[in-house]
Amino acid sequence: MGTEGFGPRVAFYIGDIPVSETVTVTWLIMAILLVFSIIATRNLQKEAKGLQLVVETIVKVINNLTKQNMGEHNANFAPFVGTLLIFIGVSNIIGLLGLRPPTADLNTTMCLSITTFVLTQYFGVRQKGLGGYSKGFLEPIPFLLPLNIIGELANPVSLGFRLFGNIVAGVIIMALLYGALGIFTESLLGFAVPFLQAGVPAVLHVYFDMFSGLLQSFIFTMLTMVFISGAME
Amino acid sequence: MSMDLTTAGLRLGLVEFNWTFVFQLINTLILYLILKKFLFAPVTKFMQNRENEIKSQIQNAKEMENSAMTLKESYEAKLTHAEEEGKEIVKKHTQRAENRAFEIVKAAESDIESMKLNAHRELERERVKAVNELKDQISQLTIMAASKVVEKDLNEADHKELINKFISEVGESQWQN
Repeated sequence: MGTEGFGPRVAFYIGDIPVSETVTVTWLIMAILLVFSIIATRNLQKEAKGLQLVVETIVKVINNLTKQNMGEHNANFAPFVGTLLIFIGVSNIIGLLGLRPPTADLNTTMCLSITTFVLTQYFGVRQKGLGGYSKGFLEPIPFLLPLNIIGELANPVSLGFRLFGNIVAGVIIMALLYGALGIFTESLLGFAVPFLQAGVPAVLHVYFDMFSGLLQSFIFTMLTMVFISGAME
Repeated sequence: MSMDLTTAGLRLGLVEFNWTFVFQLINTLILYLILKKFLFAPVTKFMQNRENEIKSQIQNAKEMENSAMTLKESYEAKLTHAEEEGKEIVKKHTQRAENRAFEIVKAAESDIESMKLNAHRELERERVKAVNELKDQISQLTIMAASKVVEKDLNEADHKELINKFISEVGESQWQN
């Protein structure tokens, strides 16, 4: 803990427990999603239009994605898959509002990837029984048991760090760019009017927040579905 | 909860596990429940209901179409049947009329034939009768003439036979036709 670096700022304390901006931004996202969900589904009409069309499309796409990747019988995973996709997606692009993406915090990404890991193990065991699921680690030959276990444990780590790395890289690069542009304009004009910061970072925002952010949320969700349905097969 | 100026600029480590993990775990669970209850459940249920409704409507439309087609087919079959029946009736009656006409003509022909025959017979009978009468009259005349000539010499009975024989011999050859 310190005042330097690129870690999330502490927003406030609950007793001795620090609440970082990761958590407060997450609460903001939760509130936005809650209000959006309630407003969008408040008055569903047979003939969809406007906001209803948006939510219907979102839900349909996520339902279909779940069915495609996990099979028709696993359609009830759709809310979980949708939570990951929507939360990570919104988190990644909230940098556009000048907020720190919750996914730029290892705690968030590892929390999500460990949730995926726990669900993977749970549904694997539930589907095949403890013996049947454990036997999977002895394949194709029992000699590979340690490697299989390491491989299984590597999944949540790689999943969490991939997302964290991509987003935090964007955050750091954008912070450096804003800092550099600030110094540049100051030395150019002799006083701090950040006019260069108004247009130049937009291109990088499009890449890091929009493209990379949405891509990473999709990758995380797809891998989650692959892991869980893979353990169940 | 406490917040003062010394903590305002404080940052947590970039790569470390801390209390945020616990917060985020709870947040994720709550967000999952929110999205499930307020977004996925109602929208999925709504879309499912609408899909079912549309499916049942399509099903109904198909059934109605099928029944309409069946009705149409039966009407068409009835129409064809009626047409055939009509043709059959016309044919039957034409046939019967033809038969009847033929019978009438035939009956008329046979009637004519029998009438012709009767006429012939009548004619023949009249002719024979006339010939016989003529024969009688001739024989009587001859006898009368002969008795006038011969007077008492001639026995009427004997000579009548003689004369008759003569006349019949002459007559046969003369009245033949």
